[in-house]
Amino acid sequence: MREKIIAIHSSRGGTGKTTIAVNLALTYAHEGLNIALLDLDFRAPSLFGVFSEGIKKPVKCWLNDFMLDRCEIGQVLIDVSDKYSLDGKLLIGLANPTIEAIRNMMGRSRAWEVAAAKKLFSVRTSIFNEMHMDCCIFDTSPGIQYSSINGVVSSDVTVIVTTLDSLDIEGVKNMLVEFYDEFEKKSVILMNKVFPQTRMWSDNERNELITKMQRVFKRPIIGVIPCYCDVLEANRDSPLIAENPSHPFLKDLQEVGKKLENI
Amino acid sequence: MDTKKLLVQLIGEVHMLNQKFDSVVEFGGKMLKTQEEFLQRTTKQKHTDETFKLEPDMVTLFSLPSALRKTVVALYKLGEATAEDLARETKRLRAVESSAANQLVRMGFLSKRREGRKVYFFIE
Ligand SMILES: Nc1ncnc2c1ncn2[C@@H]1O[C@H](COP(=O)(O)OP(=O)(O)OP(=O)(O)O)[C@@H](O)[C@H]1O
Ligand SMILES: [Mg+2]
Repeated sequence: MREKIIAIHSSRGGTGKTTIAVNLALTYAHEGLNIALLDLDFRAPSLFGVFSEGIKKPVKCWLNDFMLDRCEIGQVLIDVSDKYSLDGKLLIGLANPTIEAIRNMMGRSRAWEVAAAKKLFSVRTSIFNEMHMDCCIFDTSPGIQYSSINGVVSSDVTVIVTTLDSLDIEGVKNMLVEFYDEFEKKSVILMNKVFPQTRMWSDNERNELITKMQRVFKRPIIGVIPCYCDVLEANRDSPLIAENPSHPFLKDLQEVGKKLENI
Repeated sequence: MDTKKLLVQLIGEVHMLNQKFDSVVEFGGKMLKTQEEFLQRTTKQKHTDETFKLEPDMVTLFSLPSALRKTVVALYKLGEATAEDLARETKRLRAVESSAANQLVRMGFLSKRREGRKVYFFIE
């Protein structure tokens, strides 16, 4: 894969963005790619929790500080490759999870949002030209808000994660027309938590669903991931790949990853 | 030319005019929204025409016509660019980029500076 920024976005919350961003990054790095994973969800930071075991030193520079022009992106990124015995590199950029930091990122001026957008666009040069990463993944906040819009607009392709919930589907449809089309952004749909894992479904059923959804969204469906009870119940302060590397959820993401490489 | 042919041709022209009107109205609507915001903000702060600036943040970009929005997004990506650089990025004509960028400068969203014979546009 050559220098691609992938944003993971959704219309409503809780569709599985963070779970997918984290495990996609780990899957890629496991295959030998060099990946940067950034937490752009400044309202509800998650990566600090997910990678808590892999973070050895107290975090001095958060992604917030980079956005506020207090440090360089290189000072923010933490290398967690050793912890998960990956063949490639995995660098993570964390959003500061303290309430004070979250509050500090909210309700900023338009002028600041312009500066923040410029900062995020500048990440491309640093990560690819200077750090020689293969791919950068943005985990974003749901819906239309500054950090997510900036992330989506500055990315090369966006994966919109949705469930089959009708509110999710309506939300995504609106977002595609009102936002993605307006910005002419390349985007694909990933259906997540689709069927109860116990319900067997034939290839036919699956393909029918894909065709139907492709018509609804007028976008390629790059994957249909079932709802796995044990993913739901999994310990969240350690990535799935560390606990159960042969989990079918990871196989699903491998396939999604391959398709994304060719987009 | 017989009357029927003429009529068919006329109807065709009217249809085309209608379409043009529609896009003008749509464009006008978007411009109005931008201008409204602009007014709201400027009534709060006095300005002189030269120093006056608007912020092209992503939410404001929503209310711009897509032809202009594209230029701003390209400029975010390039940092600072001539109309030629912009045209390479957006795959549109240089003249299109030049006119869009200059319009954005007049609207207060972008700045430009001259260096020799080249004009560079940038987001302040
Ligand atoms: N395929 C799946 N099967 C079962 N559970 C899943 C699946 N994908 C995600 N989940 C679970 O769904 C919940 C929400 O996931 P996650 O936090 O990744 O969503 P999110 O979109 O990042 O949420 P937010 O919008 O709040 O950031 C988690 O408990 C996660 O374990
Ligand atoms: Mg999340």
